[in-house]
Amino acid sequence: MTEKVSRSSGRRELDELIQTCISIENRRFNPFLLDISEALSIIRRHSNKLRTLEDHLLDMRAITSVARVVGLQSADLRFQSSALYVDPSIVKEKLDSLSREQLAEFLLLSWHPIVELEQLTLASTKEAKEFWEKMLSFFERRKRLHLGPFVMPETTDLGELARMRVVEERAYTRKMQDLWRDLKERAGEDQRVDYWDFIGGSDFAQTVVRAQLVSFLLSYGYANLLRKGNNMFLVPKAKPDPHIEGSRLSFPIPITKEVLVRAK
Amino acid sequence: MLFFKRGRIPGARSWELKTGLGKGYTKVLEQLDENLKDLDLEVKKVEPQTLSDFKPGPDDREEESRYFVRLKGTLAPKEARLCGWRIDNLAALAASLALVVSKQGRSERKELETVIGNKAGRWRALTLMDTFLRSGYLEEDEEGLIKLGWRTRAELDLPSLMTLLAESKAPSVESSEPVDDDQASMEG
Repeated sequence: MTEKVSRSSGRRELDELIQTCISIENRRFNPFLLDISEALSIIRRHSNKLRTLEDHLLDMRAITSVARVVGLQSADLRFQSSALYVDPSIVKEKLDSLSREQLAEFLLLSWHPIVELEQLTLASTKEAKEFWEKMLSFFERRKRLHLGPFVMPETTDLGELARMRVVEERAYTRKMQDLWRDLKERAGEDQRVDYWDFIGGSDFAQTVVRAQLVSFLLSYGYANLLRKGNNMFLVPKAKPDPHIEGSRLSFPIPITKEVLVRAK
Repeated sequence: MLFFKRGRIPGARSWELKTGLGKGYTKVLEQLDENLKDLDLEVKKVEPQTLSDFKPGPDDREEESRYFVRLKGTLAPKEARLCGWRIDNLAALAASLALVVSKQGRSERKELETVIGNKAGRWRALTLMDTFLRSGYLEEDEEGLIKLGWRTRAELDLPSLMTLLAESKAPSVESSEPVDDDQASMEG
């Protein structure tokens, strides 16, 4: 029992050590934060308790992780002795305190942009032609990707694309004109229809779509909106009368489920 | 071969030049470098990247070195603007390169975005990071860490940038304030 507990605590310690090493490798911590002799003593302490293959693999991962950190420490020392070395915290402070203009100026003083021209040349055209001629057929290249049986492309029609919602079944203007016709029919002799009655659709989404179309009918002069007390009426026009300079009045109408319930 | 962009990266590899010019291609490049001086241009050789942080690459990778033609001098802010660079983009690039260099060539993306965000605005930081990655100034490694890209190694004099940064003094307080997103659109 005691041996089992000690083995599991050993595994935990090795796991923690590996995680620390990974964090160092990911530049989260300074490599010198890890005390190598302490790390090695942890590995050594548990070396005689290794029983299963998993234990040995964990031990191996711990050793390689520590080795990588030693490598990073060595790189860090070499870097610190190079001309490029500035402490990251000092760099951060500098970057925060310097203005954009200063930083841009520093970059410009150290920057030698590459000269590159994009143009077709005889050589590149020949190269492209050779490439094209040597290129395997589409089916040959596809075979290498192991994508399974090839399904031949099929034709589709607008109806199917509309069902897939790739295209709109009817153009927007057409929709507006259909709605305008509907409005004129429903207005009948009264020459007006209650706004909420008219925009009401089969569901909430449909209602919002109709309300949006109605807003365009109003903006483009196909109908007028009349307010009488708390009620709003749509009055269709016999002929559209577009306001060339745009509508002078903007009248937002919030559509909420509560409003729709009240209107019913 | 050096001027015209063929493929994604400009310039030419050693083996390409060797194939095109023969074994004495380095002599030809030296002569070209001499001739380009009058135009304030130079031939720059970029060594292939070392395999890891602490292990130098094998010696036989000479064939993989890449040669570019680049500006010998530097650009004035006005000239950089004419090339389509904005001041805040240049500042963001300087900040990200300095931070990556100070962290020995690798840094977390989030950290870089925070630093750029202080200079160019939070939202622009995200798009600028993508731009720098796309144009080759920065690269993302397999672990998702950001490192210096091929273009930085070809175009930037990093010791000069780090020295300028280390020797710099902050300007007056009002111009060093962090910016909001809507301020970041200042044209360079």
